[in-house]
Amino acid sequence: MYNWDFLPVLSESGLLLAGFRNTLILTATALTGGLAVGLLLALARLSHRRLLSLPAGIVIEVFRTTPPLVQLFWFYFGLPIILSVEMTPFLAAALTFTIQSGAFFAEIFRAGIVSIEKGQWEAARVIGMTHSQLMRRIILPQAVKRMFPSMMERSIELMKTTTLVATVSYADLLYEANELAQKTFRPLEVYTVVALIYFISITFISFLAARLEGRFARSGEMTR
Amino acid sequence: MSYHWNFASVFDNWWALAIGVVGTLKLFVVCLVIGMSVGLIVGLGRRSSRRPVRWLSTAFVEFFRNTPVLVQILWFYYALPILVPIEVSPFLAAILGISLNSAAYSAEIFRGGIQSIEPGQWEAARALGMTWLQCMRRIILPQSIRRVIPSLTNRGVEIFKMSTLASVVAYVELLQQGKLIASLNFNPLEVYTVIAAIFLIILYPIVRVTYAVERRLARSD
Repeated sequence: MYNWDFLPVLSESGLLLAGFRNTLILTATALTGGLAVGLLLALARLSHRRLLSLPAGIVIEVFRTTPPLVQLFWFYFGLPIILSVEMTPFLAAALTFTIQSGAFFAEIFRAGIVSIEKGQWEAARVIGMTHSQLMRRIILPQAVKRMFPSMMERSIELMKTTTLVATVSYADLLYEANELAQKTFRPLEVYTVVALIYFISITFISFLAARLEGRFARSGEMTR
Repeated sequence: MSYHWNFASVFDNWWALAIGVVGTLKLFVVCLVIGMSVGLIVGLGRRSSRRPVRWLSTAFVEFFRNTPVLVQILWFYYALPILVPIEVSPFLAAILGISLNSAAYSAEIFRGGIQSIEPGQWEAARALGMTWLQCMRRIILPQSIRRVIPSLTNRGVEIFKMSTLASVVAYVELLQQGKLIASLNFNPLEVYTVIAAIFLIILYPIVRVTYAVERRLARSD
């Protein structure tokens, strides 16, 4: 029978904590960027001008149907060759996950915007609002509430996807775990602890999301 | 911006990419079959009247959905062999990680599909004297699987994309072969562009079909 010994892991918990901090930083960066990119892509895709809707559609489909790890390698190893710039693991990861999650967010935004009843659009038009006014004042505020559950799901997916950066040596939680496992010769304890850290934090976020959804649902402004 | 793309150095190694495609497809098929079957069982388990079964299935789903799949693969690869006296190959580690992760997701899909069937269907089947198994197999599953086909296809596409993670434990699949070619020929830009294109060519038709099926189901319901 194997003797579990968490002591070597716990005595190096500072390393894991630093890794977790980097995971959160990367997730927050990609989430902020991804939401902005997603909204722009969605608006472009819904545009009547083909010059806007076609490229947006292509970006969305390409980033949704190729594996994120291939994208990350492309941005980390490939892009610097075209642009002849130095690429850091963080920059490559932030760029990849911003665009990748942006493509998924775009589809959520689009579904939300399309779900708003025609009457809302017509009424806003009749009052004399411009397209950007009616989008900002009427459509988006309603759409965002409906999109909330899918948005939260996607954000959690994003946090889990950030583990891929360990493969290009960005010091996130999983990367530090790999280091620690080699250093302590305790892979079982290290990977179990890391899995638990992810499990607890993601379960906590899901719990918060569910409570917020409940509040939205009570105020009758969200359809599920 | 005057970079000269040179795809010849990639296509000279087409056989290595072909081996990679075979490895990817093998992993995909195994994970798809195991993931969907275990998913169906766990999905049914979540609706069981026995509390331990329900509790275990829920714990399984929550655990595998709330941890990153890459952590799961690495756990199976490095940690599992310490607990049980078996040799875990990269292939086995990838199968365990990806299958169990997809099983948790498809369990939720199956559960949703089964729940969406009206109680009247159950009652009618029961009244005819069908056992639980008959009622499930003949009445409930055929109807609910039809409803969840778009979600299941999406899951299949996700599994295909996830197979690239097996390269982290050096299982020979498309991305792993790409890394090899790139490190021998110093052409990462072309290699990873080609690999992304291969995934796009394989998966995009499936995605389009899913869209079409989704629209048709939406109309017929």
